[in-house]
Amino acid sequence: MSDHTSKQFDAEMEAIRSGVLSMGGLVERQLARAIEALEQDEDHGLIDAVAADEHAINRFQVDIDQMCAQVIARRQPTAVDLRMVLTVSKVVNDLERIGDEVKKVAYKAAGIRGNEGLTRTRNFDVARMASGAQGMLHKALDAFARLDVNAAAEVVDDDDAIDHAFNAILRQLISFMMEDPRTITAALEAVFIAKSIERIGDHAKNIAESVVQVVKGKDVRHASAEQIRAEVAGE
Amino acid sequence: MSPVFRSGLIAPAGVVGAALVTWAAAGPGWGLAVSIAGFLAIVAFHLWHIGLITAWARGPLDALPPEGRGTWADAFSAIYRRVRVRSAYQRDLKLTIARFREAAEAIPDGVVLLDASNRIEWANPRAHAQLGLDPDRDRGQPIVNLLRQPEFLRYVDTGDYGESVLVETNLDGARRTLSLQLVPYGIEEKLLLSHDVTQVELVARMRRDFIANVSHELKTPLTVIAGFVETMQDIELDPRQRARYLGLMHDQTRNMQRLVDDLLALSALESEHAPIADERFAILPLMLELSADAKALSGGRHAVELDLGRAASVSGSRDEIRSAFANLVSNAIRYTPPGGRIALAWRVEPQGAGVFSVTDTGIGIGKEHLPRLTERFYRVDRSRSRATGGTGLGLAIVKHVLLRHQADLEIASAPGAGSTFSVRLPARRVHPEPAADAAANGDAPTSTASPRETGP
Repeated sequence: MSDHTSKQFDAEMEAIRSGVLSMGGLVERQLARAIEALEQDEDHGLIDAVAADEHAINRFQVDIDQMCAQVIARRQPTAVDLRMVLTVSKVVNDLERIGDEVKKVAYKAAGIRGNEGLTRTRNFDVARMASGAQGMLHKALDAFARLDVNAAAEVVDDDDAIDHAFNAILRQLISFMMEDPRTITAALEAVFIAKSIERIGDHAKNIAESVVQVVKGKDVRHASAEQIRAEVAGE
Repeated sequence: MSPVFRSGLIAPAGVVGAALVTWAAAGPGWGLAVSIAGFLAIVAFHLWHIGLITAWARGPLDALPPEGRGTWADAFSAIYRRVRVRSAYQRDLKLTIARFREAAEAIPDGVVLLDASNRIEWANPRAHAQLGLDPDRDRGQPIVNLLRQPEFLRYVDTGDYGESVLVETNLDGARRTLSLQLVPYGIEEKLLLSHDVTQVELVARMRRDFIANVSHELKTPLTVIAGFVETMQDIELDPRQRARYLGLMHDQTRNMQRLVDDLLALSALESEHAPIADERFAILPLMLELSADAKALSGGRHAVELDLGRAASVSGSRDEIRSAFANLVSNAIRYTPPGGRIALAWRVEPQGAGVFSVTDTGIGIGKEHLPRLTERFYRVDRSRSRATGGTGLGLAIVKHVLLRHQADLEIASAPGAGSTFSVRLPARRVHPEPAADAAANGDAPTSTASPRETGP
């Protein structure tokens, strides 16, 4: 490959990476808006903004997938580059799914807003859990930008905390529903919201695992956090 | 003839001299031998020095050159001088660069140097903290990979850097608003400046919310009144209905009046920079007044208890403090269901601080609301607050009065378990009186009007 072509190839790979990260930035903003919708008493057009972000995210997914397909067809990348291209497809997929879940959270937040009593306190806990997921997503994307396997391993650890938070919220909501059956409708919505946030955490974890895969060349999708740590440490 | 050439000739001349002397004394064989040995020694001497200088040149950069002997001494010391001058010059340069870098690091705003393709070249510690950059890893990373906010990406793409752009960041759960600006310099290089405007944005937001809230609070009673007026214009009402409608309208105008009074009180408290009236007033008569007010407000629906501790006089504005305490008392009554108990208490702590507290057996407040309770128009439960005639400004007024008296507000509460609001006046404002009947403090003003009236 001539110097010129390889430079162009590098530029294309860089463009793909930056594309993924811009898409990630969009998803982060969307999530921030959904959390705001959870915390606030009134809508302030947040739901529309979240929906608009979702469209932009889908467009990003199509564009980046196309870029990846073209690089594979035209450049036949090998080794690390091929791993990068394949991983990008997966990361983009995870980001798009996060976008879907965020949209659900925002819509459901509007649904439970009317119910006083239950939702005031529940929203507070759920919004805190969502902030945790937001932190995970940010860290996972930073790890992707820096190809930082240590940060990626931390994200995998953080997912446990989100899962615990989900279980705690679930238990609380169940006791609320048993105490006062009138809260059931709103509580169920809150359960769905918490579940969506838990899924966001899972997708952030997937992204982190993809980072480990690019750098280490090993598939760690079904490995435990300890195994991933060992893999990261074993230089 | 140069001095080096001259000194360089001494040794060969010596060898030739010695060889000639030996020749004369011991014959040509010995003479030849001495001259060969002498020249070999000279060659060895020079080779040794060449070796020395080569080893030095190949060695570490900061090593000083070796010392030479004989002919080489001059050459080596010349090199030595040159090296010293150069390293002093470099030290100066390094010092200057370090000073510049220190200056850049000390800038209270974030500064990032970016190359032509927006990759990070250098950033000051503030930028690392504000933007979440990693000082070790992020050199050469495109800035847009780490600052991914869509607003910032669009700003970078526009190429128009005349103005700054606001982005929200959330690092480790701390939400901040940053104002980012790119400044082109050199050849296509850029400076990224980041400035934390979280507080500014917060104030702007509170102002927007405040205006929206005031408009909303005034609109509700106005809508009600307008509705009744329309009805009365259109329909002939019998006197009883008419009286009922007028009564409801009167209630609404009273609500509006109260809101406007509170707003005026609040703005007076905020705009008054002058020190508060340096009065001194007895606390016990004030407590008795508050207790009487509480009984009147409650209309017999609550048990009002009064616990008077040690008599004391308090320095500060009596009207302002009365308005703050009265606000707490009326809150307690409004949020306690009939049959509940309201306890007013005054005590002087051993350290000298004075504590006024109102304890109720009301509905209580969840802990997540406590930090925001003194915000204007913050309401735990909107429908309830308005139904009981609150303006949403009471605790904001209390907070401002206490701020002006360096007093603290402490709130202990749990949902369903009632609340205790305590005001702690600092010891230097509380003057305990030895005799219990010293409460008859003649010069204490007894006016109960708004805090404006005795303002300086």
